[in-house]
Amino acid sequence: MAEMKSMFREVLPKQGQLSVEDITTMVLCKPKLLPLKSLTLEKLEKMQQAAQDTIRQQEMAEKEQPQISH
Amino acid sequence: MGSEMDPLLLAWSYFRRRKFQLCADLCTQMLEKSPYDQAAWILKARALTEMVYIDEIDVDQEGIAEMILDENAIAQVPRPGTSLKLPGTNQTGGPSPAVRPITQAGRPITGFLRPSTQSGRPGTMEQAIRTPRTAYTARPITSSSGRFVRLGTASMLTSPDGPFINLSRLNLTKYAQKPKLAKALFEYIFHHENDVKTALDLAALSTEHSQYKDWWWKVQIGKCYYRLGMYREAEKQFKSALKQQEMVDTFLYLAKVYISLDQPVTALNLFKQGLDKFPGEVALLCGIARIYEEMNNISSATEYYKEVLKQDNTHVEAIACIGSNHFYSDQPEVALRFYRRLLQMGVYNCQLFNNLGLCCFYAQQYDMTLTSFERALSLAENEEEIADVWYNLGHVAVGIGDTNLAHQCFRLALVNNNNHAEAYNNLAVLEMRKGHVEQARALLQTASSLAPHMYEPHFNFATVSDKMGDLQRSYIAAQKSEAAFPDHVDTQHLIKQLKQHFAML
Repeated sequence: MAEMKSMFREVLPKQGQLSVEDITTMVLCKPKLLPLKSLTLEKLEKMQQAAQDTIRQQEMAEKEQPQISH
Repeated sequence: MGSEMDPLLLAWSYFRRRKFQLCADLCTQMLEKSPYDQAAWILKARALTEMVYIDEIDVDQEGIAEMILDENAIAQVPRPGTSLKLPGTNQTGGPSPAVRPITQAGRPITGFLRPSTQSGRPGTMEQAIRTPRTAYTARPITSSSGRFVRLGTASMLTSPDGPFINLSRLNLTKYAQKPKLAKALFEYIFHHENDVKTALDLAALSTEHSQYKDWWWKVQIGKCYYRLGMYREAEKQFKSALKQQEMVDTFLYLAKVYISLDQPVTALNLFKQGLDKFPGEVALLCGIARIYEEMNNISSATEYYKEVLKQDNTHVEAIACIGSNHFYSDQPEVALRFYRRLLQMGVYNCQLFNNLGLCCFYAQQYDMTLTSFERALSLAENEEEIADVWYNLGHVAVGIGDTNLAHQCFRLALVNNNNHAEAYNNLAVLEMRKGHVEQARALLQTASSLAPHMYEPHFNFATVSDKMGDLQRSYIAAQKSEAAFPDHVDTQHLIKQLKQHFAML
């Protein structure tokens, strides 16, 4: 054991320059907390969705009608 | 016995129980029998209004034209701290973009989304057209009237024999003389038909009939002027209404006018006046907090949100904003308590569980993390939400060092939302670690073109290009990064290095 100790001795420089290499690392985008939605916004979105659905249905119905009449 | 209930009474009962469709149907039947039944007529109008009623205070939809061609602001070059358009000046020690993500408008992301939080006027036309979908808090492109017009057409389509009230055939003068009918009719025209001009006509006639003594009509006229974009006229009406009768609503409407005129300081003073009259009023306190938040003064905003919670400890907006603020000031365990409080209160959606998952992970409560995210994924309503959850899961994977999982998470985020700039950037970082330089560069370029307001892709691109010896591109990207985040030390360092290089040549 005594031999081992003499083999590995820590090096603590007391003189001379200390150099640190500064490597620029790439940055990740940060984690994103999602904002909660207000009731008004939810209602607006729901209404808009419903409106779009009705319009789509109406259009579908209009498309189908001429086919039936033929 | 009970089967023979008076239809009008039944309709009323439906109305009170908020079964508006049933109420309207019943009223229609009654009107078919006796077309001149005023009670049924007014009840149907009110039921139809309630179905599409949105609190006008919360509505603030600006279209692309209003944003770009807006000349209502008093000062085109405002002094710092007096405008909502220049949020960049961060004197108050809010979180830096290195910690807290920012929206396209350069504001830190908020904890709560309202129709009017989707604000932030883009600087250029190009920016206005391009970015709105990437940052979740950015405004949709639709024109201001667009959403309302579409809702209006849909309501017309649903009633096959034309609209309930034919506005062009109304004799407004006659109705203006019956104040009780007129108020319901006004709300119907304003909210259901979205015909602001006719509504304004009716309101003007009615206020005349009440000899300018009814504050309610003045507020309604103000609302119409606001919708028509005539802010100065709206201001006059609201002020006059306030003189007659001080109401919290009127204060809120007037503040909204000042915010549209880009005068946040005036709005703040107004709110404080309102607080003198209505001490501890939550809506006013919350209004102050929102303005401070928009002006990037996060510490004052938090103070006022705390004030709100003292009055009303179930205020979702205040809890969410304080929570997100704690999270981004490196206190995830405190944020976790706020979000848990929201969960206790019965908020149950994708966003909340996502936030809980993130807080749990960063507060080292690993047992709850993945279950929260699983719940968030199962509750997600659209693909953008799913993408955001996968994106955050990618961070968890990076945190535990599982790069393969992280890679898959960010990929899944992109599958669900092809415009997710943050995911592109993080994927590029992972690719770079694997040594795939060209792929990383391509991903970074996509990210920076999708979200020019973020500094990360620019900076990363500059770093990669610098390593490859492409100094010119590196310098250009570094400058973009500096524009997005002037205080970023690494960017400044890189620019200095590059300048030295160029000087040596």
